[in-house]
Amino acid sequence: MILAARSVAPAEPAPTPPAPVVETLPPVLKFEKVGFAYDGRTIMRDVSFSVAPGELVCLLGPSGCGKTTILNMVAGFLRPTEGAAIVDGREIVGPGPDRGVVFQAAALFDWMTVAENIAFSQRCAGVRKAKRREVAREMAALVGLTGFEDAYPYQLSGGMRQRVGLARVLASKPKVMLMDEPFSALDVQTRETLQEEVLRIRDRTGCTILFVTHAIDEAVFLGDRIFLLNDLKTGAFDAFDVALPAPRCSPENRLHPSFLRLRETIYRRMRH
Amino acid sequence: MTADERRARLRYLVVATLSPLAILGVWWLVAARGLASPIVLPPPSAIWASFVDMAANGYSGVSLWTHVGASLARVSVAFLGGAALGVALGLLRGRSRMIDAVLLAPSELLRPIPPLGLIPLFILWFGIGETSKVLLIFLSVLLIMMVNAQAGVRATSLDSLRAAESMGANRWQVFRFVVLPSALPQVMTGLRVAMGTALTILVASELLGGDRGLGFLILDASSFFRTTYVFAGVAVIGLIGLATDRALAWAGRNIVHWEGRR
Ligand SMILES: Nc1ncnc2c1ncn2[C@@H]1O[C@H](COP(=O)(O)OP(=O)(O)O)[C@@H](O)[C@H]1O
Ligand SMILES: [Mg+2]
Repeated sequence: MILAARSVAPAEPAPTPPAPVVETLPPVLKFEKVGFAYDGRTIMRDVSFSVAPGELVCLLGPSGCGKTTILNMVAGFLRPTEGAAIVDGREIVGPGPDRGVVFQAAALFDWMTVAENIAFSQRCAGVRKAKRREVAREMAALVGLTGFEDAYPYQLSGGMRQRVGLARVLASKPKVMLMDEPFSALDVQTRETLQEEVLRIRDRTGCTILFVTHAIDEAVFLGDRIFLLNDLKTGAFDAFDVALPAPRCSPENRLHPSFLRLRETIYRRMRH
Repeated sequence: MTADERRARLRYLVVATLSPLAILGVWWLVAARGLASPIVLPPPSAIWASFVDMAANGYSGVSLWTHVGASLARVSVAFLGGAALGVALGLLRGRSRMIDAVLLAPSELLRPIPPLGLIPLFILWFGIGETSKVLLIFLSVLLIMMVNAQAGVRATSLDSLRAAESMGANRWQVFRFVVLPSALPQVMTGLRVAMGTALTILVASELLGGDRGLGFLILDASSFFRTTYVFAGVAVIGLIGLATDRALAWAGRNIVHWEGRR
């Protein structure tokens, strides 16, 4: 459970209670008193939290507060300067296919087709070509890219590129998916469609997701929990439980009273 | 291709063809009006006549095609060898700081030395045969390709490196699937620069004696004031340069098809 976070109860009883099974499973991701400094400049200190399997946690906060730094530590691109980041009971020492990253600018391989991009992790693992092709087709279907397997990334729209980024990560069947403002450069409609897609994929794969965003709407619509990271230097932050009816991917949830109320609560908290 | 793109492409081809023809026209006018002495600037027709003469009867007892073949052989061997080694070293320098440290001073000391300045040394070390000629071109190509390949490696985006690592790529796979393709655009550009330079050095390298090659032909003709033959030889080198450059540009567009389309 949350160690340092002050938990803020939802304003009214949840329409659907959060699945209790989630609470009893050992956390898939855990930060223990993590501190980080860039060249001696402290960005965060004493940050602790844990994420249960299948949970979708949104990291919400103003630009520069350290969201990407947290994600990079989970991905293994950065090592904590204090404390420990733990996935599946083991301390994170470097990048690995058990933690997939969806980048803000997609970071696709422009020299590879959509299918080759999607099956990249399989290629690295030495999977044969025919099998890779099959995985690519399956994952393309999962993210709604059927028929684009042989296109190159530069032939796709921004939204489709992020779909490839999503499929490529899903293909390696990660325990944790890390998404760093993946939809912030897209237009509103595409962004909302992809948010719904993420929830649908989460339901289908049971993947744990850490989702970074600076948009309150996005955090409330997507998250099971939201960490509001105003100041990570003290290690204390607010955590909000989101209580919205299933299926979570329903766009109707954007108008649900709980959605609107939580959005307001967070907005006021961010501004105070 | 859309109709607009096709029209734009056609217009490009027309202008690209008309521009050299216009230069030829002005040249012809200047020569025909007697504005320049034929020794300094012979008319295009006289140069064409010399070319036809060489094509039929050869130059200094050797057929024109033997001259062309000798030059092309030197350039090809030196270009392929220099490019292969230069790209390999440049990629290694881009990936390993230690290798970069080893090669930095030697290559940067060598680079500003004009090839002509090396000729006396090369004669001393390798004689005046093929070895010296080929090595001179080889060295220039190598240095150009090393710089370009290294810069290409640096063009690899941090996100794509991280993406590859987080999808389980090992060091070799990161290099093969991410670094190498990221460096390719710059390598292809480097090849075009290097080919241009190789042809320039060719003429200089054929200063090193011998009786074959376009460089020899030009130098020999100029020492006898056979200006039309000089021009004809220069034109043949120029055309070879144009053809190889177009071929490399075409290959580049097809190999690095994603460049500029992100
Ligand atoms: N490579 C870096 N070197 C030094 N400082 C950095 C680096 N990356 C980020 N920072 C600093 O760390 C802080 C947190 O950055 P980041 O995690 O990217 O914030 P966020 O993703 O929340 O916008 C910022 O103040 C930023 O300036
Ligand atoms: Mg960020």
